[in-house]
Amino acid sequence: MLEVAGLTTKYGAISALRDASLTVSDGEIVGLIGPNGAGKTTLLGSIAGLLPIDSGVITFDGEDITSAAPDKILRAGLALVPEHRRIFVDMTVEENLKVGGVTLSRTDRQELLTEMAELFPVLRDKWDTAAGYLSGGEAQQLAIARALMSNPRAIMMDEPSLGLAPILVDLVFDLIATLKSNGRTVLVVEQNATRMLKAADRAYVLRSGAVVASGTATELLERSDLFDSFAGG
Amino acid sequence: MEGLLQNVIDGLGRGSIYALLALGVAVVFGIMHMLNFAHGELITIPGYLTYWAFNNGWNWFTVIPLIVVSAVLSSLLIERIAFSRVRGATDFTMLLTSFGVHFIVSAGFLLYVSASVKPIPRPGWFANTLAMGSLNIEIFDLVVIGVTAVVLAGTTWLLQRTMFGLALRAAASDFDTARLMGIKSDSVIRGAFALSGFLAGIAGIFWIMREGQVTPTAGINPMLQGVLAVLIGGLGSLRGAVLGGLVLGLAEVLLRSWLPLSIQNLTTGFVFVLIALLFIFRPGGLLSVPQVERV
Amino acid sequence: MFTNSRRDVAFPLIGAVTLFALLFGGGLMYQTILGNGSAQRLVTTMLVDAIIVIGIQIYVGNTGILSFGHIGFGAIAGYVFAVFAISPAEKIKRIPMAPFGLTDVEVPPAVAIAIAVVITVLFAVVVGIGLARSGAQSGSVAATVITLALLFVTHEVAKSWPELTGGNRGGISFAIGASLQGRWPIVAALIGALVIARLYGQSRSGRLAVAAREDNLAARAMGVNPLVQQMVALLLSVAVVSVGSALRVWQIGSILPDRFFFAYGMLTLVMLIVGGRNSVTGAVLGVAVMTAARELARRLGQDGFEVFGIGLDGAPLDWIFRENLNSVVLGVAMVAFMIWRPNGILEDWEFDQWLYRRVGRRTETKPGRLPALDVIPDAQFSASGISVSFGGFQALSDAGITAESGEVVGIIGPNGAGKTTFVNVITGMVKPSGGQFSIDGDQLTGRPSFELSRRGLVRTFQNLRLFGALTVRENVETAALVAQEHRGHRTLRDVESLIAEAGLWDHRDRRARELDYGNSRRLELARAAAMAPSFLLLDEPTSGMSDSESIAMIEQVRHMAATVGAGVIVIDHDLGFITGISDRIYVFDQGSVIASGTPTEVQANPRVQAAYLGSAAAR
Repeated sequence: MLEVAGLTTKYGAISALRDASLTVSDGEIVGLIGPNGAGKTTLLGSIAGLLPIDSGVITFDGEDITSAAPDKILRAGLALVPEHRRIFVDMTVEENLKVGGVTLSRTDRQELLTEMAELFPVLRDKWDTAAGYLSGGEAQQLAIARALMSNPRAIMMDEPSLGLAPILVDLVFDLIATLKSNGRTVLVVEQNATRMLKAADRAYVLRSGAVVASGTATELLERSDLFDSFAGG
Repeated sequence: MEGLLQNVIDGLGRGSIYALLALGVAVVFGIMHMLNFAHGELITIPGYLTYWAFNNGWNWFTVIPLIVVSAVLSSLLIERIAFSRVRGATDFTMLLTSFGVHFIVSAGFLLYVSASVKPIPRPGWFANTLAMGSLNIEIFDLVVIGVTAVVLAGTTWLLQRTMFGLALRAAASDFDTARLMGIKSDSVIRGAFALSGFLAGIAGIFWIMREGQVTPTAGINPMLQGVLAVLIGGLGSLRGAVLGGLVLGLAEVLLRSWLPLSIQNLTTGFVFVLIALLFIFRPGGLLSVPQVERV
Repeated sequence: MFTNSRRDVAFPLIGAVTLFALLFGGGLMYQTILGNGSAQRLVTTMLVDAIIVIGIQIYVGNTGILSFGHIGFGAIAGYVFAVFAISPAEKIKRIPMAPFGLTDVEVPPAVAIAIAVVITVLFAVVVGIGLARSGAQSGSVAATVITLALLFVTHEVAKSWPELTGGNRGGISFAIGASLQGRWPIVAALIGALVIARLYGQSRSGRLAVAAREDNLAARAMGVNPLVQQMVALLLSVAVVSVGSALRVWQIGSILPDRFFFAYGMLTLVMLIVGGRNSVTGAVLGVAVMTAARELARRLGQDGFEVFGIGLDGAPLDWIFRENLNSVVLGVAMVAFMIWRPNGILEDWEFDQWLYRRVGRRTETKPGRLPALDVIPDAQFSASGISVSFGGFQALSDAGITAESGEVVGIIGPNGAGKTTFVNVITGMVKPSGGQFSIDGDQLTGRPSFELSRRGLVRTFQNLRLFGALTVRENVETAALVAQEHRGHRTLRDVESLIAEAGLWDHRDRRARELDYGNSRRLELARAAAMAPSFLLLDEPTSGMSDSESIAMIEQVRHMAATVGAGVIVIDHDLGFITGISDRIYVFDQGSVIASGTPTEVQANPRVQAAYLGSAAAR
């Protein structure tokens, strides 16, 4: 479904991504793990059309989206939940969700709004509250719900468990599992590697902008040198 | 007491126009992070068209839509020709670009029309007053306040209740994330300039009526009032812009009424002294939005 | 005041004189070729404009703040000069009722200019305070608007105070006692302006202002107080503009409110922008280019294409080349340059600095290695109870560390753990909601960043914040300049040695923005070391580096700290780097310190492992 081939990006002298490649097949949960500064956010941002790419090809469902604008990529069915959530803090929960569905028709949008209210009771309770007043966990749910408002077939998440208490992390991974059972494809950048590997089908390990390991989640979990490759020992 | 009430209404009358101008400037600032020093040209250009129209037998009924439409079109045209090419540039560059555009337009009119003042007839009811007890209220002020209230209400509805408004607010809040939601950069920027032009157009109707004339430099004063009002209210706040405009108008009128006759013509100077004092004690403006520094 | 007297005094003086010779000489040539009075007036006008533009450059170029207000200051100076210099006999005709009995006052023109400068600079002090207050809060956009308002106010007051200014009709026109026959006052003022502008640019204040222009936050982290330097630049620039404006009034022989308003403001700004606002050479070039361009446009507008002896005529050309074409040309020039070359023709190229690099520099030998300090001054850093919340999000709860000079303390933790927030708090960039920190018992909580770095807490940035347009040497010099003033009680290492120590000797005169990543990081380290800090706070110094580079960095940091006697507090996610360099480690997770101890202890701690890899809590 999503194919990234040979992605390279430089910021001035810094090589943020070096020939990074990955594939995500329909209906999979794929994890992207690795230490801080590895380029995971740059990778997602490049796929989503926000960051410039120096070389490489990205295809989504056979369509070349390498240099497409973010709105075109969203309309193709690929949504991104950005790092740090980036919810619109001066707008209410409802308004945030509506913006998420800006590409839809009014009726479709209304339908999805109702769906989200059911799926996220916590948000339903704070429907008219300004998003800036939400707690970390609520904000993360809002960010995911907002991305779901465009009814994407594939959804990318950048560090969804960042700054969340363990019980909320559970919630997030529950959501990810639900997404898969609803037929959606999920690519998740996560810092919580062990947790990610337990939830994912496959995973890639990114370090200093390059893919240094990949395989099924089980395979990677069994590797004893995982901690080392993370912590740079 | 009656004098005060009269002054307040007069002040609100002026302040309403400043509020509309300020809101137009603030809408563009929210998205582009640029104070549009060419905003006044959105009155100059319709002003000259108005002069031409009256010379060709138009009347105020037909001129009013002309002003609004030409303001919107001018705003979009300027965005297309100049601002679209400096998107993402430094604040310095964008400010100078807008200043350059202001200059091109005013110098253009100087060059191709004339330096002389072009008179514009005022509507018949302009000088009418409404007598209420011992008060003599100018109808013009009431009309301005009324129309502004309606336009502000309409703009509020637009921003709060329509998808267009939501998209604008989202883009002003976080431009990149708004793009991630599927909002197109071009569309939302043009939308902001169109809205800004509309607001300038409404303000322009009354500005032109009140001035009764147009000159190549007609745009300087409205632009300055709009930009100052935005600062007074607090950069980054739409409500602040409206409040700033009203405060500016009130300050102007009330100050003039309180100053001794001999120095009344220095009112503008004193208004600026007040503004300066405001900035010393409340540097961010009345409704300042705390700007968080990104480390 | 001046770091290097050849580079910062001698050569700038050569530059000032050369620029003067070029401008004046060029003007004389033009005047001689054409041989008529109008050419002479054009050249005189150009010279006066140059003084004013150079004055504006002193502020706009060095601070990076766009100011429309300088012409407003010019108006004040112009009117003060006129009122004091014109004879009472003349004034009776125009402003018989001038306040403060000024109608009867007359002073020699030189004295009038001096009075004008003093009064205008006093106004500038007041305006400068306003700029500082609002600029600090709302950024330079607010400052620019205030200067615009100033321009407007002076114009309004000039129009509305006819007793003093002659109002809008007629203004004050006059012949001053000693009229501006020879151009000697103008020549002297121009040379003076050039000298002041160049010397200021190379002076301590000018260099610190430029650093703040390049990166305000980094400048503050290096102990620079941008507001002070911007005030100095403002006052100097207003003084120069005042002199130029007074001379302008003297030359023209009259003053009207519109003479110092938008049209002239635009002209002077365009001149500054076109040449390149960041250098005096650029300002002078801009004056020459725009004077020539406008004159050409004016001729074309008047005489059509005839001016070239080609008799081209016709309606389309008439449509373009008309009167006042030069006004439109200004606006078009402004917008065109903003789109295609925002930094002007010369960007920030300065003639005398180029000359210095070509012929003026003495050969330098690479300095030897710096030894570690024999005696490391004692210092104790302590932070406790630090809490920060952003809106509803608790970034830090009750965090605290201690550090001593001579040791390396590491801070690790996963992304979002609060490490950078912690550094931001102890360097004054984020206000904590609770807790305090101190060096040797001196309370530092709540102090601004520039003060903290002057007290010895100097940081580097995760996102690299160098002064891009400045060279490697100038970057380090900036810190050294501050250290000389505020860190004199410590051993200050000289700039060249630090640069060599950081492995940047071969790049010492390259601009910081041209460096590759590894060198950029090392430059940040050297710059911070030049502050002779008590504690070096390094925020992810190996971010983006390869393994071998990270290992090299360990040695670099250790040695650099030893040469200046600083304790080190390092944040990084790379456990290998941290364990390799630290004597003690603190582990942050979710805003709190969850473990601390020696590297061995910490690495074996299961809580630490869990924090890094995430809990394996089954569902």
